Amino acid sequence: MKLLGLEFYKCRRRKIVLVCATMLAVELIWMCVFLTRQDAENLQQGWMLLIYNLIIVDAIVLPLSVATLASRNCELEHKGSTWKLLETMVPPGRLYTTKLCWGALVLALLLMIRAGLFLAVGVYSQFPGPIPWGWMGLLTFVSWAVSMMVYALQQGLSLRFVNQAAALVCGISGSFLGLLSMLFPAWLKRCVPWGYYGLLSFVGMDWEPATGVTRFYWLWPQAADAALLAVWAALFLAAGRTLFVNKEV
Amino acid sequence: MNIIETHDLCKQYGNAMRVSHLDLNVPKGSVYGFLGPNGAGKSTTLKMILGLVRPTAGSIQVLGNNMDNQHRLAVLRQVGSLIESPSYYGHLTGEENLRIIQTLRGVPEKNIREVLQIVRLDGQRGKKVAHYSLGMKQRLGLAAALLGYPKLLILDEPTNGLDPAGIQEMRELIRDLPGRFGMTVVVSSHLLSEIDQMADHVAIIREGELVFQDSLQVLHGRSSHHLALRTTNNTVARSLLSEKSLDCQEEDGFLILPILSDEITAKITYFLAKNRLGVLRLEERQKSLEDIFLELTGRAVSL
Repeated sequence: MKLLGLEFYKCRRRKIVLVCATMLAVELIWMCVFLTRQDAENLQQGWMLLIYNLIIVDAIVLPLSVATLASRNCELEHKGSTWKLLETMVPPGRLYTTKLCWGALVLALLLMIRAGLFLAVGVYSQFPGPIPWGWMGLLTFVSWAVSMMVYALQQGLSLRFVNQAAALVCGISGSFLGLLSMLFPAWLKRCVPWGYYGLLSFVGMDWEPATGVTRFYWLWPQAADAALLAVWAALFLAAGRTLFVNKEV
Repeated sequence: MNIIETHDLCKQYGNAMRVSHLDLNVPKGSVYGFLGPNGAGKSTTLKMILGLVRPTAGSIQVLGNNMDNQHRLAVLRQVGSLIESPSYYGHLTGEENLRIIQTLRGVPEKNIREVLQIVRLDGQRGKKVAHYSLGMKQRLGLAAALLGYPKLLILDEPTNGLDPAGIQEMRELIRDLPGRFGMTVVVSSHLLSEIDQMADHVAIIREGELVFQDSLQVLHGRSSHHLALRTTNNTVARSLLSEKSLDCQEEDGFLILPILSDEITAKITYFLAKNRLGVLRLEERQKSLEDIFLELTGRAVSL
C-alpha cells in the first residue's frame, strides 16, 4: 500500500486527470452527437443503443487512453533515471506490480465515472425502461478487463523503451485495429488484443434490410473468449515482467 | 575490518570483459577513492556492488553480508548511493523527491530538513527539480543518498557538473563524512587530483583490472626521486657511465640516473668533463602522481 500511495504521489502534476477528462469528454461528445442524430424509433431502445455504441467508442478511444496513461506513469522513471535508485530499495518485481496496480485503480475509477456519466445521459435523454444498472456494471467490468490486458502490453513497452514513441505508436495502432477488427470474422478478432472490446460485446444487433428496422438484444459473451482474454493478459504480464526484472539498470 | 570485499569479481558483456578478477577491500571509516580512466569499469563495479548489475563471476560482501538476492535489500538499507547521474523526478520539488525516498527507506521525516541543510539546498526545497541547475541536482542526489545516514556511501563521480566552488564544497563534505557521521565513503573519479584531495585509500582500475590498491600514502611513496642528466653527447656519456657500473636510461634527451650522493655526483661531472663531454643540465626530479597514474593505467590522465 505504501508503494501504491507513492505511485499516486509521484504522478502529481503529470496531468493524469487531464488525460482521463479528455477521454471522457471525447466519449461524451461522440455519444451526444450520435444520439442527437437518432430518430424517436431508435431511441425507443435507447439504453441498448447507448451501450452498443459505447463499446464501439471504447474500441477507438480506450487503446490510446490506456497507452497514454501507462506512458505517463512509466516515463517519469526513465526521465529522471530513477530505476537505479528505486532498485536499491525495492525489488524490481514489486515495482512492476505497483505500477500495474496503479493502472488498474486509475482505469477502474475512470470507467466507473464513465458509467455514472452515461447513466446520467440516459436518464436525461429519458430512455424508456428501467435503468440497466447490471448491464452498465458489466460494461464497466468488461471494458476494465480488456483495458487491463492492453495496459499490461503498454506498460511492458513503456518500461522497456526509454523513448515512449514505441508505446504510443502501439496505442494509436491499437485504436485503429480495435475499430477495424469489428469487421473481422470472430476467429481473426481473437488474434487482435484490441479486438476484445468488440468480441466481448454483450449487445447484439439485427438489421432488417427490407424494413430498415434495427433491433438490439442482450447476449452473454462466450466463456471461451473471456478465457482467451485471460491468456492474452497472462502472456503480456509474464513477458513484460520478465523483461523488466531481468533488465540491468 | 573491511566494509566491502569483492573476490574475483568479473563482468562480461558479449566478448568484452569489462571487469576482470577484481579483489577490492574497502576499510571501514575510510574515504576510498576508486580511480580509473573513462570506460575502465568503475561504474559497472559500483553497480555490481549495489546489485544493480549481475556479476558474471566472483563474490561481493558488503557490511559482512553476501550480496545475494536474499540479503541484498536488507544490506542496502544501510547503504546510500549516487550512481552516474542523479536520480530525480523533475516535475516534483526537491522536498517531494526526498519525501519519496524517506517513505521508501522508512526514516524519520526530520531527516529531509537535515540533509537539505547538509547539502545547502534548504533554500530551494520548494522549487521543481526540473528547474534546478546540474550542480543542484547533484547535491539533491547526495542528499537522497545521505537521507538514511547510511554506514556506507557509494558515490560515482559526484563532482560531475559542479562549478569549481561546488567541487570544493563537495570535496570538503565528503572528507568530513567519516568524522561527522561515522560513514565509509567510496568515491569514484577519473580525476587523480580529486581523489588525492579527498581519499585516504585508493584503488586504481585499468580496463577492468585492478592495478593498485593501498593507502594514498603508499601511492605517494612510489613517487621516487631520480637525477636527470643532459650532456653534449648522451650516447657516449651513457657508455662511459656504464663502464663505471652506473646504469642509466635515456628519456626525452635526458639520461635518468638513480639518486646519488653529492660526492659521487661531483665525481661524475668531473669524469664526463675529463672525457670532453659538457654537462648541459643536471636536475633532481620526482615522479608526480600523474606520472604514477600514467604508468599504472598506461593512458593519458584527465586533468
